[in-house]
Amino acid sequence: MTLRNFFSSSSFRLVAWCAAVFGVSVAVLLLTVYWITLAAIEQQLRDSVERESRLLVEIHAARGHDALLRGVQRRISDLRSPRRVLLLQDASGRLVAGNLPVMTPVMGWTTLDVPAPPADQVVKGDDAPPGSAVIALGRRLPGGEFLLVGENLYRAEKAEEAIALAFAWGIVTTVLLALGGGALITAGFLKRIEEVNRTSRSIMDGNLSNRVPTRGSGDEMDQLAFNLNAMLDRIQALMESVKRVSDDIAHDLRTPLSRLRQRLELARARVATPEGYAAVMDQSIVELDAILETFQALLRIAQIEAGTRHAAFAEVDLDAIVFAVAETFAPVAEDSGHKLQASVEGSVTVHGDRGLLTQMAANLLENSIRHCAPGAAIAMTLTREGGVPVLRISDTGRGIPEAEREKVFRRFYRLETSRTTPGNGLGLALVKAVADLHGAAIELSDNGPGLRVTVRFSGFPEDHASPVRTETVPEQPAFSADRTVVS
Amino acid sequence: MRYDFPASPNDPNGRRIRNPGLEPWTVPMKILLIEDDPDTSRFVANGLRERGHVVDQSEDGRDGLFLASEAGYDVMVIDRMLPRVDGLAIVKTVRAAGVKAPVLLLTTLGGVNDRVEGLEAGADDYLVKPFAFAELLARVNALARRPPITGEESLLRVADLEMDRLKRTVARSGRRIDLQQQEFKLLEYLMRNAGHVVTRTMLLENVWEFHFDPRTSVVETHISRLRAKVDRDFDRELIHTVRGSGYCLSDAP
Repeated sequence: MTLRNFFSSSSFRLVAWCAAVFGVSVAVLLLTVYWITLAAIEQQLRDSVERESRLLVEIHAARGHDALLRGVQRRISDLRSPRRVLLLQDASGRLVAGNLPVMTPVMGWTTLDVPAPPADQVVKGDDAPPGSAVIALGRRLPGGEFLLVGENLYRAEKAEEAIALAFAWGIVTTVLLALGGGALITAGFLKRIEEVNRTSRSIMDGNLSNRVPTRGSGDEMDQLAFNLNAMLDRIQALMESVKRVSDDIAHDLRTPLSRLRQRLELARARVATPEGYAAVMDQSIVELDAILETFQALLRIAQIEAGTRHAAFAEVDLDAIVFAVAETFAPVAEDSGHKLQASVEGSVTVHGDRGLLTQMAANLLENSIRHCAPGAAIAMTLTREGGVPVLRISDTGRGIPEAEREKVFRRFYRLETSRTTPGNGLGLALVKAVADLHGAAIELSDNGPGLRVTVRFSGFPEDHASPVRTETVPEQPAFSADRTVVS
Repeated sequence: MRYDFPASPNDPNGRRIRNPGLEPWTVPMKILLIEDDPDTSRFVANGLRERGHVVDQSEDGRDGLFLASEAGYDVMVIDRMLPRVDGLAIVKTVRAAGVKAPVLLLTTLGGVNDRVEGLEAGADDYLVKPFAFAELLARVNALARRPPITGEESLLRVADLEMDRLKRTVARSGRRIDLQQQEFKLLEYLMRNAGHVVTRTMLLENVWEFHFDPRTSVVETHISRLRAKVDRDFDRELIHTVRGSGYCLSDAP
């Protein structure tokens, strides 16, 4: 993050504005306080001067001129009030007592500039500098004398300066704190934005597995990061699905296509009769159809895995599907020499895609029919276990060795023992994709002998269960006779 | 071979002409084909003409839309992806304009949700490319004779075979035949399309609602069971296998 970046960032601009508004409000507040304080200090001085003046006037009225004179002199020499200013002139304007030079009498309040007192008259401890201002109250006494009582403003001015300075510092500190805090917040915010940017750039450079770091604080930035990551996960899953399809096409469609090409080439070179050509053509069309079917199946699996079919989900009566599939394939099983028995317990509803669930049930049943040697017993059951719909297809065929059970869900994976059975090796991959789409767990186990496939719709607990379930009496036989298909 | 065409494809007398190949009897139809791939278009149009149909071709969505809304066609075959105006939009537009002619939508491989979208737009059937010509022909014929929704007869009859759809009973030459539910549905579909070829895929989609290709011989097995009940004890076979195409329930030998 460059400094330029920092100052041009929107969060910093916001912070700067906040600091400005805050600073101005603090300044207005402090100025108000400043003026009120000054007014209070001045009022205090005036009160003190007024009190003093009235006292002297009362002394004069009560005890006469001499008492007044003594009072004035005592006050002048009183070290406790070094800033007191006093002046007593007689009616003709001559100085009687005081620490001010003679002046033209002024009645009422006035502000005077007092000249510096002679050096010998400076009272020790008085820090009043020369020429400071004085606020004074002049009065004419009944005998014609003029009395002026005043107070030096020096202290008030000093207090004023101190307050102004303190307030100025206050404002500066406020603005600096606001800016500093803002900068910190901005830097933190920009750092997280930068994390998102860095991740984006890294992904653009091809590191698709990169993710925005989260802090687990659950704040807005964390939520943003979380959503971005979820979006990236989804995109990556889609891209992987596309990549897998193209890989599969490249690897597994090349073989049949090459075979087809060889056949045509051979026919061109060796076949001489129209009947021969027709036979080769028929074979080629059959082979081409198989290739197209494989292609279709791959695309279908990819689409299912990409999860785009969630939109078509609805409440589906799984019991009806299983029953219909069993009914459809029962004659096929019989013709292959197998015994098919199917049973459905009550009414079972799941949220899903009817077409895909039908295909899944059909695929699993067809697997058993196709891969078992004649005479196998095939059972298809739909039950509820702990409120979860469970579809089971079991047979008494060769089964699948334990080591192979996970591999059979891979595309194009075929067991050694079933190489001779026609098929494209995509059936179970499709079943797995459909199960995953429906949040169902699929499990292969030993049927002793044979294979048992269990599809557990664990993504659909009680709330998706039909009310029929809750009314089921435990003693009721697991297989209801009226919904059983036997071939 | 020379065909004797009626003056209009919609000849009220419904004159039948003898045809070689897949459909033994065909009422000539006026068909609109909107398909932008010239090879596919020629392949389909020539095939339909060989069976005695009159085919108007358009390789462009806009011209196709113009033709589709103007002239009265018996069936329209429309590709889903077309230049200028796409197939779905054409179907929606002509349906909105009140054109009732059945529409067969053609689409490329792999669109899982395309079928639903196409049917929702107002198409009547849906065929994935690449297809066998026999499949297209059978579907076009099936669309052309699609019965109106109202006035469905409860009684179906082909030769001496009778089906009462309300009582759910079947009898041949007055002898009652007991059918299972799926056999009944299968026979019903065959009887509705009597005299015409229905393909394996059509049966899977319409009788079993399977929109995928099973890897076992489901259709063959059920047909053979049905034959055992409908044909075995009688002199004349009604359910015929049409090689390379499908099946046909017909009185003709």
